[in-house]
Amino acid sequence: MSDYTTPPDGPENEDDRVLAAEYALGLLTDEERAQFEAQLDTDAELRAEVVAWDEHFASVILEEVDEVAPSPQVAKRLQTVLFKPDKQSFWQQIWPYGLGGVAAALVLWLSISTGILVPEDAALQPDLVAELSPTPDGEGLVIRAAVDTTRGALQIVRAAGAPPDGRVFELWLIAGEAAPVSLGLLDEGSSTLIDLPQDVVALLPGTLLAISDEPPGGSPTGAPTGAVRAAGPLTPS
Amino acid sequence: MTPQEEVENLIARVAMGDRAAFNRLYDRTSAKLFGVCLRVLNDRVEAEEVLQDVFVTVWNKADSYKVNGYSPMTWLITITRNRAVDRRRAMKLPPVPIETADLMPDSKPGPEASAVAASEARQITACLDELPRARAHLVRRAYLEGDSYADLAQATGVNLNTIRTWLRRSLMALRECLSR
Repeated sequence: MSDYTTPPDGPENEDDRVLAAEYALGLLTDEERAQFEAQLDTDAELRAEVVAWDEHFASVILEEVDEVAPSPQVAKRLQTVLFKPDKQSFWQQIWPYGLGGVAAALVLWLSISTGILVPEDAALQPDLVAELSPTPDGEGLVIRAAVDTTRGALQIVRAAGAPPDGRVFELWLIAGEAAPVSLGLLDEGSSTLIDLPQDVVALLPGTLLAISDEPPGGSPTGAPTGAVRAAGPLTPS
Repeated sequence: MTPQEEVENLIARVAMGDRAAFNRLYDRTSAKLFGVCLRVLNDRVEAEEVLQDVFVTVWNKADSYKVNGYSPMTWLITITRNRAVDRRRAMKLPPVPIETADLMPDSKPGPEASAVAASEARQITACLDELPRARAHLVRRAYLEGDSYADLAQATGVNLNTIRTWLRRSLMALRECLSR
């Protein structure tokens, strides 16, 4: 900006030069501004005059206005506003996936019995299963879960799809209207085995499983913060 | 790369949807732009809302930056300053009073004149210092704080037409000085 110099010429009319300055400062009335903008549309020299004033005034700001750090909340809100523009609430995202559980269970049962889903640990005897259907944010994801309630273990298999770069998948359990409970992060590999505490196992039948994407290390808040990518109900196998 | 080229380069990458570049641009410029918002609005909450709004605009409009002929910081500062002034006017904030005694035209140079002259003063700063101090103050108030003619009339108790005449004369003198 320091190398900027006002062209010595510019609009001939002194009135136009001052109008350009008043326009740059926002000093014109609505009517005057509309008239000036109509003139700007057809007058390149006048546009250059406005740019020149803006450059000069901005250099006053650079020189005279102190930097003040905004609160970190502004950067956080921007990430949410700009990069998750269609983010629905967690509940809006998961509700369609509570339906069709029986069909999903059948598909999963078929997958297991035909060997598509091979439990990592042969001792796992699934009595609850879930097929997690991809949400609009989770296109291409194929994720299935199987729970052995006797052993207190849940196996989750990601057969297709992956979290976005720099994000991880987190598995949530949703019992009725209660807040989602984190069951842990999915491993980078395709299969993850998660140990379930007894009090969680007792909740399981009829609950919903959901996958959200979270920062590395998992949700910083204890509740889902990223988009829900897949969800489906746990049903008896 | 000069700081100016760096900001220019970041804006170009933001125009292509580069989020990392957007975050860098924010880290690099938000404190200055927040200072601008605070100067106009004098209220952290309002200023932060405007700042957020400005960066949403930057993300959405970065591709139009090249066509309008601004240097990168001027583009960012102009968007910010104008947005903050719009907010201030919508809120109908009363202007900070200006002592009438300060308005009497005098020939004394502004207080910073000598210090500024010694450093690499920007052209506009040097030209503002050529104006009578009170007149330069009105121009600064209009730009830095976003005062309208009505605000300046209210702040000084001087009739609006007189204020307008003073400011327009000051702007003409500034323009003459700037083109020297």
